[in-house]
Amino acid sequence: MNSHNSAGEELDFLCLVALNAMLPLSNERTLQAAFYILRGRKANQTLQDVHLYSLYPYYRMFPRFTKEGWDKIVSTLLQKGFIRTVTRDEQTKKSTFWVTQAGKDFAEKESDRFQLNFWLAPFSQSDMAERLGLFWLRLHLIVQTVSHLLAGELGFVPIVSDKRTQRWARTQLHDQVSRVMWRDQLEEELFELLYPLPIEAQELIVSQLSGAAQVGKTLEQIARQRKETPSYLQLPFRYGLAACILRLQQESECFPLLSRLVIETHKFDSRLTDSAAKTYQLIQRGLGKAEVAIRRNIKESTVEDHLVEMALRCPEWDYSDYLSEELGDHIVQTSEQLQTSRLRMIKDQLDDTVSYLQIRLALARRQGEKVK
Amino acid sequence: MSDLLHNTLSKHFGHSAFRPGQEKMISQVMSGRNVLGLLATGGGKSVTYQLPALLLPGITIVVSPLISLMIDQVQQLRARNKIPAAYVNSSLDPAESRELLQEIATGAYKLLYVSPEKLQQPYVQSVLKRVRVSLIAIDEAHCLSQWGHDFRTDYLRLPDVIKHVGNPPVLAVTATATKAVRDEICDLLHIEAEDVVAQPLNRANIALDLAEVQDEGERRGKVVELMNSLQGPGIVYCSTRQAVDVLTATYQLEGSRRVHGYHGGMNSMERMLIQQQFLSGDLDIIVATNAFGMGIDKPDIRFVIHYQLPASMEAYAQEIGRVGRNGEPGYALLFSSKEDVHIHQHMLDREYPTQLQVQQFCQLLSKGIAITSEVLAAVDLSEEMAGMLSFYAEKAGYISKPGTAMPYDQEKALHIWQDTQVRKRQKHQKLFGMLDYVQNNQCLRRSLNHYFEEAEYSFTLQCCVHCGLDRVAYVGDIPQKQEKKDEKPWNLRQALQTLLPKR
Ligand SMILES: [Zn+2]
Repeated sequence: MNSHNSAGEELDFLCLVALNAMLPLSNERTLQAAFYILRGRKANQTLQDVHLYSLYPYYRMFPRFTKEGWDKIVSTLLQKGFIRTVTRDEQTKKSTFWVTQAGKDFAEKESDRFQLNFWLAPFSQSDMAERLGLFWLRLHLIVQTVSHLLAGELGFVPIVSDKRTQRWARTQLHDQVSRVMWRDQLEEELFELLYPLPIEAQELIVSQLSGAAQVGKTLEQIARQRKETPSYLQLPFRYGLAACILRLQQESECFPLLSRLVIETHKFDSRLTDSAAKTYQLIQRGLGKAEVAIRRNIKESTVEDHLVEMALRCPEWDYSDYLSEELGDHIVQTSEQLQTSRLRMIKDQLDDTVSYLQIRLALARRQGEKVK
Repeated sequence: MSDLLHNTLSKHFGHSAFRPGQEKMISQVMSGRNVLGLLATGGGKSVTYQLPALLLPGITIVVSPLISLMIDQVQQLRARNKIPAAYVNSSLDPAESRELLQEIATGAYKLLYVSPEKLQQPYVQSVLKRVRVSLIAIDEAHCLSQWGHDFRTDYLRLPDVIKHVGNPPVLAVTATATKAVRDEICDLLHIEAEDVVAQPLNRANIALDLAEVQDEGERRGKVVELMNSLQGPGIVYCSTRQAVDVLTATYQLEGSRRVHGYHGGMNSMERMLIQQQFLSGDLDIIVATNAFGMGIDKPDIRFVIHYQLPASMEAYAQEIGRVGRNGEPGYALLFSSKEDVHIHQHMLDREYPTQLQVQQFCQLLSKGIAITSEVLAAVDLSEEMAGMLSFYAEKAGYISKPGTAMPYDQEKALHIWQDTQVRKRQKHQKLFGMLDYVQNNQCLRRSLNHYFEEAEYSFTLQCCVHCGLDRVAYVGDIPQKQEKKDEKPWNLRQALQTLLPKR
């Protein structure tokens, strides 16, 4: 294996993914926006971009991306002439970018080569990235635990150290009846679940699992063994997990054990981030946004971010204290006329009394309705 | 007494004999004395408090900073030794903690592992006050000492806690400690000189070697070659994550053994997988920062290479102590170059605050606002540094009440900075101790033991490079490049049955 080539292939692949994530953001957002999406930043701006531009498959695709890694990708894209930067605002030096024809051609051709559309198809749900992580931790821990149970070894070192997952597994195996069920039926359910997946995905999932007779491999080790780039392997791996989650949701009656892996046992409203869920509770009790800010000891602008998140994900929330229906419609129309979601441009077209919060709420509500 | 101890040892722990030092420590503790025990890692520290816990009437508290080790020991105690044990640490949620503490109050457990920070909590202390504490064991006791290489602020209040739960006997255990560290521990915990039980630090089956290199290329080349030729399994310790990554990548291209890197920058699942692969023999060599090794017991490690100069003799002794625990010949080789000292100096400069940073931190405190990660990022302070500064600020009486501003105190800020500088100088001293070890031309075994003020220099196979050393003795079979082993066609059923065999 040649190191230069494999590093080069890795960069090529990352450039392709980045370019695809950047396409819809062209002329709308800064270069960093795609970076935040791929890394899975939990900031409201990023979450809203993901919704607004339907970038669900890309959210949290590479949670361990570094800033340096990203800069390298951007400079490669610039150097190859796939993107160009534009300075938007002379005063603030804010800049955006656009994707060139060469960039679009490259993205199309390479996406076909890597079957990008196929591997990303199961990511149609907005919270898939979050669920993927939880599902994988649970699957890993329950398989390891049951495997040691079968081998009669009670003391073992769990590979998953996440406490919430450990607590979940402990609850699952708490009583004798469930223990026997897991012990006797897990293998069969797992076979049924994984069998329809492409072999590539099956293999990736199973070789990363640990048990009494096998210590799982890391994705990086599998990549080296197969002489593939580790980032590419994320595609079939994530596809496999996402497909499992969808199937367990749809056919839960066929998977009495494994369907428990996709049930959320969250204290808060799982549609929202924990912090936004706390705000929502207070808003529902009739507090205003300033009061919430004081009560929770957070900034009012943070509360506003939560309101936008609520508008996006909680259709039952009555936002009329903040935005009238007519004004909301007017903002949406303006956005459509201008063909942009950039707040500044929309605000310039509207009456001075319209606030950024109102624009954001209106756009979020429109997007929330689209997703439904 | 001796019979009782031996019977308990064989019945509950399955050992027929005590390892050196264990019996003396146990019987002294059982007679109600405070004891300091120095046992090498893997020398059976845990038995010295687990066995008394079984025999003493009340509960035994074990203070340990290593959560994973705690969980592991408790699982083993419950499963294998049938000893009712539990742990309280940050991994439990408040409801679970409360429930557990209620059980403890009813006397359901013989052994309780607690992290030092949990032990500070008034609620935990009040429960422990109500039950009868027969013994407090303090694991990694060197963390108590400000002279130690691994001083932890949350250990500092332990003496108060001991008083608070009724002054039960104390057993402090650690693997490595200089005279100054021992003295400080004994002083803090009221341990008499005759109650210090020390096993000689000297490891007779490990040969000590040094190699000086001129540049990075030479260093990497030599290490890669040795990784191919030395009898494994082995560990290569590097000072930085970056060095781990570069050496691992180089070796994976050129070398023939199964090697993987390990450092704190990897996610926890990856780290656990790599560690378990090494323990189970799926990997021959680990290239790691000092994050690897704490609490790991692999008896058949045959060599440790230090890619760069370690930060202290304490760290060095601890890291090479992982070699040859099964008594087989072991080999420890330390590479160094002129630049290594600069790497450490640079790391120390980053670890300790500048005067300006201390001022900025104190100004934040004066404002009376909550110190969040955003606030810290705004003045470019890391959370680790903020943790350290909070400790010294508290010591200096620079305490802010949330929500109330107070005037900025120039003098106290200066005092805090001077305190951190004292610590920084101590770490420099440790580094110079290490430098001295590689630069003087005396027998390495003597230098090493002399540093810890011990006078035991025996060896079984070979002593050290200055006394004459034949490296060939530590060379193993040249491994063939193992490939195509896993290239059977994929069979899902088979793969799942390996994981979850039908009974
Ligand atoms: Zn010697």
